[in-house]
Amino acid sequence: MLRHAIGFIETVGTNPSIQAADAMCKAAGVSLVDVIEIGSGYVTMIIEGDVGSVKAAVDAGAEAANETGELVSAHVIAQPHEDLMSSMLGA
Amino acid sequence: MATIPAVGMVETRGLVALFEATDAMLKAASVEMLGWRRVGKGLVTTFVSGDVAAVKSAVTAAESAAAKVGEVVGVHIIPRPHDELTMLYPTRGAGKRSQK
Repeated sequence: MLRHAIGFIETVGTNPSIQAADAMCKAAGVSLVDVIEIGSGYVTMIIEGDVGSVKAAVDAGAEAANETGELVSAHVIAQPHEDLMSSMLGA
Repeated sequence: MATIPAVGMVETRGLVALFEATDAMLKAASVEMLGWRRVGKGLVTTFVSGDVAAVKSAVTAAESAAAKVGEVVGVHIIPRPHDELTMLYPTRGAGKRSQK
């Protein structure tokens, strides 16, 4: 079973996060898993899909977020541990 | 007397670094992930438990992995936590999906 890669975009503020989410969801082969706010305006979006699509989506999302606000970080975990998502998101 | 498992905590600013830290911990050693907590100001902490050696190697791996991605605020290990500390440990998962 090809394990899904996980992509993250973390922004400060809602506007860049929505722009980034829009850009990421338009990339094929990824799905938006969760959106988590952790204070200080940090908004973290988590997407899942195959490695190539996730990388492309995160790059597109980072660019969109950068143009419209503050991008905290954009990151892809290509081979996540199988319990990572369940332990972090309670899925 | 049952040995109380050691507890390791990694606190980062930003959730992406925390995911990286947790991923590194789960891969580095056989530790059990208790959950994570957010305390505002963008600080989030992940809790793992297991035997002292596993927790130690997991936490050191997490610290270096998370530092590459974001800011690690603090790292701490309690070899023999008091049993009343359990109320401090988070419930599993604090994301939106789990709150639905």
